[in-house]
Amino acid sequence: MKDYFKLEITAESKNEAFARATVASFSLALSPTLEEIGDVKTATSEAVTNAVVHAYRGGEGIIEIIGEIDAKENSLTVTVADFGCGIEDVERALEPFYTTKQDDERSGMGFTIIDTFTDEMQVSSTLGAGTTVKFKKVFKKC
Amino acid sequence: MKAEYSFENGEITVFLHGDLDEYGAGKIKDEIDQTISSHPARAFVFDMKDVAFVDSTGLGFLLGRYKKLRAKRAELLVKNVNPQVDKVFKTSGVYSFVPKID
Repeated sequence: MKDYFKLEITAESKNEAFARATVASFSLALSPTLEEIGDVKTATSEAVTNAVVHAYRGGEGIIEIIGEIDAKENSLTVTVADFGCGIEDVERALEPFYTTKQDDERSGMGFTIIDTFTDEMQVSSTLGAGTTVKFKKVFKKC
Repeated sequence: MKAEYSFENGEITVFLHGDLDEYGAGKIKDEIDQTISSHPARAFVFDMKDVAFVDSTGLGFLLGRYKKLRAKRAELLVKNVNPQVDKVFKTSGVYSFVPKID
């Protein structure tokens, strides 16, 4: 059985720091470098922010975060799921600088950052049902 | 998130403390915008020595302040950027708008 954790948080921006710290702590089992910890924290923050800001639009909701370690591969897979409004056009949402909230000073770089900072990223979404962002980080063995 | 200010030779340095994410940026935005609109300056320098973390919301925050300052013909600069923050800034290309100084 793969080592994992499952965490549920209310969709509030103040919980983002808690979510990324939890994922970072869990990853310590894989002896990550400081840079790798930063990458995992950043990617987690982007996925959780997406749920808070876009899926629930600042309203109430639950975010589920699952972390899973593959000891053989020395990798961590993180899944961030919400049950919010869903993304209309996922392909478009993945484009750098694309945002549906231009007036709101969003950079539109969230998914680009996850993609750049991790080794694999998948985004699946169903309108009205929710979005799941999954990313995998392989830690270099020293 | 907190901010402290120092004024010198037409330059305003804003010392930021805390994580610049959705929560942190939301806390500090109005206060900094008030300082921008009430204090004419040649440049604003965000000193990020005490900012341990930035994500794309922090980027949006930075670009938002850049636009406000540009409208007033003032510059925005950043300094003392930690490695995690630096990586996010580099990935997004933000340094071409908001240069990093020593």
